Amino acid sequence: MSSPKNDNTVNTEAIREVLDTHRAKMKTALRVCAHCSLCAESCFLFHVHDGDPRYMPSHKFINSIGRLYKKKGRIDQEALEEISEIVWRRCVLCTRCYCPLGIDIPEMIALARNICRSQDVYFTWDQLEQEA
Amino acid sequence: MVKAKKKPFEEIKQAIEGYTRVLNIGCGGCVSVCLAGGQKEVNLLNLQLNAAFSGENKATRVDSFTVERQCNEMFLIDLDKVVPRYDGLMSMACGAGVQLIAERYPDKPIFPAVNTIAVGVDRQIGIYEERCRACGECVLGYTGGICPITRCAKGLFNGPCGGTNKGICEIGNEIPCAWQDIYERLKEQNRVDDILKIKTAMQWQNQTRRMIVQDEYAGRYEDKK
Ligand code: SF4
Ligand code: SF4
Ligand code: SF4
Repeated sequence: MSSPKNDNTVNTEAIREVLDTHRAKMKTALRVCAHCSLCAESCFLFHVHDGDPRYMPSHKFINSIGRLYKKKGRIDQEALEEISEIVWRRCVLCTRCYCPLGIDIPEMIALARNICRSQDVYFTWDQLEQEA
Repeated sequence: MVKAKKKPFEEIKQAIEGYTRVLNIGCGGCVSVCLAGGQKEVNLLNLQLNAAFSGENKATRVDSFTVERQCNEMFLIDLDKVVPRYDGLMSMACGAGVQLIAERYPDKPIFPAVNTIAVGVDRQIGIYEERCRACGECVLGYTGGICPITRCAKGLFNGPCGGTNKGICEIGNEIPCAWQDIYERLKEQNRVDDILKIKTAMQWQNQTRRMIVQDEYAGRYEDKK
């Protein structure tokens, strides 16, 4: 993932602020998820990757925004990079996933992306070439 | 996807210099894919603009905010808190994104920082080719998968004009004649009959296929042109 910063410091206070403004929604989403895995059926990336559980929408939001929420934003650069790996590489934000309990999973993933972006951690399309 | 190219620096600078606090809004969608208006491009442009304004002792300062997609309101919610702090907005998304932002914040002047060029394909990193003009009446089914609107300089619907010359378009620059290509492909598929039916012509201006090469990558491809 791209990190144009020279230092690897993470402004945990800034992350905390973003988390605070969305606390109610995140809390509900994380509490309501019944791990029924029904959302998996609606994610094309889950199917494209032969049902790899790491592509389940629920897995993706729990391990991104869920992780940030549980850690109350106190997270280091490495963890942020891991999260960005999930929210950019394993989700295209097509907004097609369906949760029978009404969790807006794309919204949760977009929120995790926002937090990464706020720390200058994001995906750029020319990095694909560097990786090739 | 939608392909765009950054406007000339001076044009951008002039558009916003009458404002003190400007928010440059990036888009994580198509313009991020074609390296025109993602977070990286927003950050870079802002660095250049702020340096230029401070060098000229101008008060204008530009901040950044990149959303996942400017063409979908669900990704604009977090902007609501930020936008009121600014007297001018700039967008690095395509025309669709700019317009959705303009619609959401009707009291804020907005300026596009990119030119939206086309619906196109990715050839290489930083080099893109126009493929569709979103005419709304796709004819690819009878033209062998070659778009006469994008590829033919005159957007002709019923075969080539008299200017076609050994497979090259009369407008020059060695541009292949779209209709020659269509004919060849249909012949290969035994489907030449498809273009014998008369299609009502659309009114289009002369345009040839445009290539979108990002400046940062232009040098790399110069030899191959
Ligand atoms: S938004 Fe992401 S998780 Fe949901 S269906 Fe699309 S790719 Fe899958
Ligand atoms: S706003 Fe334009 S550039 Fe951004 S994702 Fe939508 S269509 Fe693509
Ligand atoms: S005919 Fe050409 S311009 Fe029209 S939709 Fe098809 S590809 Fe696009």
